[in-house]
Formats: sequence, structure tokens, C-alpha cells
Amino acid sequence: MAPPPSPPRNLRRLLLLLLVAAAAAAGEEEEFTEELLLRPLPDRKALAHFHFRTSAPLSAAAGRHHHVFPKAIAQLVQQFHISDLELSFTQGRWNYEQWGGYDPMSTNYAKPPGVELWAAFDLPLGEIDATWKNLTHTLSGLFCASINFLESSTAFSAPRWGFKLNEGNLRYGALPREAVCTENLTPWLKLLPCRDKAGIASLLFRPSIYKGYYHSQKLKLTSSQSFGIVIDQTLTVVLQPDTFRGKQLHSTDGQLQPSWSMKDLFHRKLSGKCLVSKSSRVFLEIEKDVVDKIGKSGTEASWTNELFVLSTAPDRMLKELNNMDAQSSLYEYDVTKYNNDKPLDVGITWKLPLIWSCTPAPYHANRFLMGSGNERGSIALSFRSTNLHNQLFGSSDDCSIKAVVFQVVPWYVRVYYHSLQIFIDGNSKAISDVVDKIHVTPSEDKLLPGSLEMLLRLPCGMQAATLSLDFDKGFLHIDEYPPDANQGFDIPSALVTFPEFNSSRSYPETDTLLVSPLLQTFKEDSVVKSYTEVLLVPLTTPDFSMPYNVITFTCTVLALYFGSLLNALRRRIGEEERELKKAAAKRGLIPLLIAKLRGKVGPPPQGSSPTSLVSTKLLLKVVFVAVVAITFHYLSNS
Amino acid sequence: MAAPGRGGIRGPSRPSRGGILALLMLLFFSACSSTATAAAASPGEMHNNNWAVLVCTSRFWFNYRHMANTLSLYRTVKRLGIPDERIILMLADDMACNPRNNYPAQVFNNENHQLNLYGDNVEVDYRGYEVTVENFLRVLTGRHESAVPRSKRLLSDEGSHILLYMTGHGGDEFLKFQDSEELQSHDLADAVKQMKEKHRFKELLIMVDTCQAATLFSQLQSPGVLAIGSSMKGENSYSHHLDSDIGVSVVDRFTFYTLAFFEKLNMYSNASLSSLFNSYNPSLLMSTAYYRMDLYERSLNEVPVTNFFGSVMKTVHTESAYSGFLAAHDVETILSTGDIPLGHDISERRSNIEEMKEEQLRSHGWTDVLLEQLDGKNADTIVMYGLGTMGILLAISTWLSM
Repeated sequence: MAPPPSPPRNLRRLLLLLLVAAAAAAGEEEEFTEELLLRPLPDRKALAHFHFRTSAPLSAAAGRHHHVFPKAIAQLVQQFHISDLELSFTQGRWNYEQWGGYDPMSTNYAKPPGVELWAAFDLPLGEIDATWKNLTHTLSGLFCASINFLESSTAFSAPRWGFKLNEGNLRYGALPREAVCTENLTPWLKLLPCRDKAGIASLLFRPSIYKGYYHSQKLKLTSSQSFGIVIDQTLTVVLQPDTFRGKQLHSTDGQLQPSWSMKDLFHRKLSGKCLVSKSSRVFLEIEKDVVDKIGKSGTEASWTNELFVLSTAPDRMLKELNNMDAQSSLYEYDVTKYNNDKPLDVGITWKLPLIWSCTPAPYHANRFLMGSGNERGSIALSFRSTNLHNQLFGSSDDCSIKAVVFQVVPWYVRVYYHSLQIFIDGNSKAISDVVDKIHVTPSEDKLLPGSLEMLLRLPCGMQAATLSLDFDKGFLHIDEYPPDANQGFDIPSALVTFPEFNSSRSYPETDTLLVSPLLQTFKEDSVVKSYTEVLLVPLTTPDFSMPYNVITFTCTVLALYFGSLLNALRRRIGEEERELKKAAAKRGLIPLLIAKLRGKVGPPPQGSSPTSLVSTKLLLKVVFVAVVAITFHYLSNS
Repeated sequence: MAAPGRGGIRGPSRPSRGGILALLMLLFFSACSSTATAAAASPGEMHNNNWAVLVCTSRFWFNYRHMANTLSLYRTVKRLGIPDERIILMLADDMACNPRNNYPAQVFNNENHQLNLYGDNVEVDYRGYEVTVENFLRVLTGRHESAVPRSKRLLSDEGSHILLYMTGHGGDEFLKFQDSEELQSHDLADAVKQMKEKHRFKELLIMVDTCQAATLFSQLQSPGVLAIGSSMKGENSYSHHLDSDIGVSVVDRFTFYTLAFFEKLNMYSNASLSSLFNSYNPSLLMSTAYYRMDLYERSLNEVPVTNFFGSVMKTVHTESAYSGFLAAHDVETILSTGDIPLGHDISERRSNIEEMKEEQLRSHGWTDVLLEQLDGKNADTIVMYGLGTMGILLAISTWLSM
């Protein structure tokens, strides 16, 4: 093709390759790790948590080519100047009472139903709203979801401190009714270097993971100047293990835990790691309550003990580092050691029936609707104490616990924030006694949702507190009702944060080279959070066919009335007949003209000369036009 | 036609009477030139890509079968070679992960549950509340907001064959969207017309499975459009069978027999559209399938079904190796060296396009002259002259027609 320029180009390419190799040698590499955590839950279910981390150093992020890092995400970060982003697709609701409310799993991976998106931008404040809109569209294309509904200003808010402390560069939006299904998982998997073809992700058998009680798929993106872009893709599922296979110890005992393994949960075994992954590990975590019970029975919490036995011997056992007497423990498996001939199938078999519980959050938060009718109602938020502070701080009654409430309410639910009432153990309290700090953005019709950020200080000794807010229901324009308006409208979950409680859980690092991202997130400082229920508000929905019925009926009646009236008043039958006869006798104007032009002027009694004059004029004009055209043609040709 | 065209371009050099003359000539020749450009465009592009727009317009669980219909077609066109990025899939509700679905993340179109239509690789582009008449028409006509991602756009061109499949509840000249909106036959015809004007397709097959589907095609006028409906006016389209495990009907008759036809085929089979059309048996369908072929030029015996339902391209084989962007400037030379019969077609097509472009340029020249004159002080006189000329022309034509 073009032989002369090729030698220098080749040379340049070689140089570039060398440079890249040098950069790689310096540790500036894209990395991918995959991990899976399994945990038996007290209510006979099992939790599986997949964690995939892909990271790209900044030098690689600036370029165009990526090794394992998904290009789509790199471009997203570059174009929208995102510093933090979290997108979650959730189906079902995390059961805070049974599955725990005071561990890293519940605070980080328990998400409100539907889609939740928040992003912090590295941009001037004026450009953020526009960028957010573009971002929602891009994400909706990327993840096959209607995230673009978050673009409208009625759908997102800008919390300052109630959600996450920020300088006004954070936007938050939630779509509680968004369906979550395979089509959302597929693009999420396409961001992984091995997709679901190899490694831990190959366990994701769609029918079994969507059968679960809780399913949350999350993408967390962090970008900074110092360490480049990091994506954490997590999938948390709570499944009911198939108990048919497990041996029943006491068929009469309702509380017997089912024995399960990966094969029961996912209908698949794990045969090897994704080849490009830096590390590939499976963990099985046992809650501290169980470990405590094993300790009481007098044995060590090894992989085979009085209470349970694991199907495969773990490679390592880790104990939580804390000052309390009971620590949860973790059994680690290195997937590298397993292959197709010897697949990994981590499982647990219970020897004795066992009842245990997970540590709850300091308060159980619930939200519900009060009132009836289509005009007004009120939202109530209730806190029930779990007496956790007694265990943590002893039983001193003069202490208090901080709680931050953040909730966004769509504009058609017009909340009257002045009507805030607080009841503690059934007694009404002054707002200033309980609320330390409050920030309200009132809603504007068809423009802005209402958002409430509130810092409460609840006394330790209290058993229950209730907050209530009155609201009026607004009316939507007829075009704004969704097709299934009769189902009601969803108010997104409220978030309750307990800033004084930290749910981090740290396990000792045995290998400093192969840091586990999953355990690293567990160790991170994370305050206890819980999401409340989504509320379903029935609004007045018009009978959409009614306007048409009314229009049709009214028009028919009017037409009948006016038609008959006009007929009666105006119509003259004799006159009409005469007109008809006249019309039959009359000839058209043009035939008349033609007849005159041809000289056959017959019997018309008057005005023959003006018509002939007109016709000669007409002829003259025609000739004139023809001459002009010919002249023009001639001139243009010459 | 070349002479007046040149005159028009030279017009501005004689501004005194050029304006009037230009106006006159414009009146004479604008009609002729527009027909000429249309004639040049119609043989047009070679078929070079395939797109599919598959729409399920029904919400609610009891309309499970409509989603199964659409997903069956989705699977078929994917199997026959149309890639995901060229399929716009619109599903009005979530059936696969619906709480009422006993088989999560699975959708079946047959009682035997042999085939999960909602496999591991479904990409839904519009779903739930996004499936509206507005969005549907936007997809067809390509009039999107700038933020809308590429995966949600129909990026077809004048060489595209498009399959448009729609299913839902309908009636005389309308199709319901989500039980709250309607797409009327006029809307559809307008959208198709607009697509034709914008060179968004070469051939379009509209397949509709709904009651009285034939009425939806009554307003279509654009050439290159072929339409199949499941039933005639006054007829209903029925579901095929009920799955008692799922609890609802899982597929419609028309789609069921369409799929039965396609299951036997693969990407390389040469089954023609007429064999597809003849495979519909009115007694099995319990309705009469309707075809509208008057807008379609080719004989259906010659057109393979993969023309719309698959992506089978003629490949142009060149002897020389790929030479990157260098080749783009002189395609013709490469084609002539590559000794192939198709090369001739292509060069002819290219010359056609060039001719067309020249034609457009000329007509632009005319408009320029006209606009320039209208900007001047004597705009009123020009308009008056124009009106006068129009009157004269009208008179002449009336006189001649007598």
C-alpha cells in the first residue's frame, strides 16, 4: 500500500510499546479482582454477595485504550467529570430485623427498591444540572433502564448533608417502581472482563438469582486524581436454598437450618477463576452470634465443629478484629486452586438445630401513611428501639442517639412541613427538644420535589418515637398520569442514618500484596443506615374516557338541537326547488367563454363585445409571455 | 434540462430582469427538477444493512402473550443475524421479573417450556412507561433529544431494510399503547412517509399482530413498504393457547405460525416472502392474514425472508488488500481493478448520486437568485409579477385543456 512511511511508523510503535511496558512495570496497571461472600441468615435463607472491582490508573484513563477496564465507563467519567457515582437496581426489600442492620452488608448494600442513583460531579455548580440530565440518558442507554426519567427537575434533588456531606455538587434521584430484570444484569456483566463466561460471575444463573427475596445490583464508581478510576460492581442476593437435597435432622423442628452449597443456590459449581483477574476468592462468613454459640459448646470455630461442617476445607480462616468477646469469622477459599475437573462447591451442613440473630441497627425505622380519602393524609415515620445502646454503652439513661432523616417527596404530595409533630413513647414533644438541625426544600408544582433533611437527637431510654407530617394530594394534568395511575403513586424510600454508629468490620490482612477489595469495603468507615419502605399513595385518578363521553354526548345534543332549529327557521322548500331548476338550466362560465371564442355566439341577449375584448387581451398576454420566454431562452443560450 | 439550470446560476449577473426571468423559469422547471431528483434517488442505494423495531404495546400481566410474541420475533431476528445494536426492542411491561411470574427471568411462548425467550442476552431499549406513541414515532422518524443515547435510536440509512413488528390490542385504524394512548393509521403513514423523505429506509416490512390489523395500513403511501397484518377489518386476532402453569395465554396465533415457519429456517435458507405469506392458513389463524403489496416493487417470489428478518449481505470481494482511508478517496479505481460484476453497479450508483447532487445544486441556484431579488427594494413588484405570471399560466393551461 504505502511502503515508504511504514518503517518510521513501526519504529514509533515499538517505542510506544516500550513505554507502555515500562509504565506497566512501574505498577501502573489495570486490575480486576473477583470475590464472593456467602453467609447463612437466621431465617433459613442464604446471602450471596458478589464483588468485582476493576481499577484503572489515571495515566491509562487519560488514554483511549484499556486492557480490562470497560471503555464505556472510562468515557462516562471523562465526559461528565464524575467524582463519585452510585447506581443501584434493587428488587425486594432488605429485612433489617432478620438479616441484620448493623453490619457492613446492610449499610452498604441494602438499597431501596427500584433504581437509586446519586452522583457527585467535579464541575462548577451551574453546569451540574445539565450534566446530570445527560448522565441519566447515558446510563439509561447503558443499562437498559428508564433512568432517563430522572432527568426532569421534579425527579431529583440536591441534598447537602442528609444523604452525604457535599458542597452542592451531588444529585440524588430514585425511581421506586423501576423493574429490575435480566436486561439490567446483562450490560452490567458486560463491564466485566470475563463477563459471565468464566470465574465467579459464571455462577449467576438468572432464574435462581431472580427468584430470590432480595436482589440488589450496584455499580459504584470513584474517580480521583491520585488513584484513577475504580469501579466496584456488587450483586447482593438473598436466596432460599433448595432444602429437598439437604438431609433433614429433625423433621419436626421448624427452626432447623437448611444445609446448602453453591450448587443448591446457583445450580452451578465454580470451575476456576477469570483468567485476567488478579485474585479470585470465595468467603463464607459466620455471624458472631453463631461463633459465640460454638465457643460456648467448648470447641474452636474451625471449619468442622459441633454445630456445622463446611463441604470443603478452607484455605484460611480469618477472625474479626475487635475488642468484644465474640467475633464473626470468615473462611476463605482461593478459586485459583480449582478447575473443571475439581470444581469448587462451598457449602454448609448444619449438625444441630440453631437459633441465632443478627445485630440490629439502634432503631428500626418504618414509614407508613395515615388518613383516608383522596384529599389529604399524613406520612408517619416511626422508630422502635432495639436496645442496642444498652449493649454498647451500658444502660445510662441520660444519653442520646443522633439520627439523620432524609426524604424526597414528589411535588404532587404537598407536604406541610410546619405540621411536623413528634411523639416520644406516646407523648408529644416540642420540636426544638428533638430536632437539632433541619433543612427543608419545599416542593414547587411541576418543578421541584420537596426534600427534607433533619437531624434528630433521640433519648436513649426511649422505646418508640413517631414523626408525622401532613400533606395534601395534588392534581396532575391529564397527560401526566401514567397508564396504570389507578395503582397509585410511589414515594421513594426515606433514608435514616445513625452517624454515631459505625458498622465497619475489619479482618486481618494476611497478604499485603493481594488486598481484598471486599474486606477493604468492610473495613471502611461506614455509618449505620437503613432505608424505609416505599409508600404507595393513591391519588384521585379521573375516568380518562369521561371527557370523551361528555364531548360526544354534548356535541350530539347540540347538533340535533341546532340542526332541527335551523331547518325549521331557515329552510324554504319552494325556493330550493326553483334554485335546482335554475342550476340545471345554467351552463358554466368557461364553456360559455369557449363558445364565444369559437364564434358560436348564440342567443345571449347582452354584453357580447366585452367578452370578446377580454379574450383578445388574454390572447395578447399569452403571446407576450411566450415571447418573453423565448427571448430569455435565446439570451441564456447565447 | 441542463440549459435552464445554467441560466439560473448565471442569473445574478443580469439583475435587472434576471429576477423576473428566474422566477418564471423556476415556476416552469421546479416541478420537472423535483421529479428528476426523485427518479434519480429511487434506484438508490444498495441494500447494506438491516434493522428491526419490535414493539410490544400492552401493559399488564394478562397481556403476557404480547411480550412473548415480541420476544419470539426478537429471538428469531437475532438468530438470523441482526445484531443487538440494530434491534430496537420496546416492551411496555416487565413480565419476566413480574411478581406473578412463577418462572422468574424467563418468558415462554409455548406450553412445553422448551425455550426461554428471555435468555441471558436480552437488551431492552425502551421499557415500561417509555413505550409511548411519542417515543415510537420519535424512533421511527429519528427526532430525538440530543442526549438520547445511540442504543435508543434507529440509525438506519437509505440502504436499510427495516422490519417493524408491532403487537398489542387494536381496532379499526388504531393500535392501543399501554391502554392509554392510540397510534392511528394516519400517524403510522405519516411517520413512514417522513422516514422515506429522510432516506431512513430502502425497504420496510411492517408486520402487525392485532385485531383488525389490516386497517392500520390503509393510509400508507410511501414506496418500498410492504405490510402484513394478522387480520382483516372486522376480524379478531386470537391467542394460540393457554399455559396453565403461567396462567395466561402465551402466544398469539399469527405470531405462532410465523415462528413455526421461521423455526425451520437458518441464515442461509432462501425461503421467499411469498412462501411465508402462503404459509398462513386462515382456518388455523382463525382470521385472514392481509398483505399490502401495491407499494412494493419487487416480486415476492424473488425476495428471501432474510431480506427483512435476517441480516444477509452481498459481500463485495476485492482482490486488493484493505488500504485504509487512502482507498476511500478513489473507490472507483479499486473497484475497477477488482474484476467483479458488482463493481459496475456501484460505479453506476455513484454516478447517479453525483448527478442527483448536481441537480440539487442547480435548484439551489434558483432559490438563491429568487431570495436575492426578494431581499431587494422591488420585492413587491416581483411578487406582483409572480402572481401575474401564475395567473397567465393558469389561463394558458385552462385554455389548452379545453
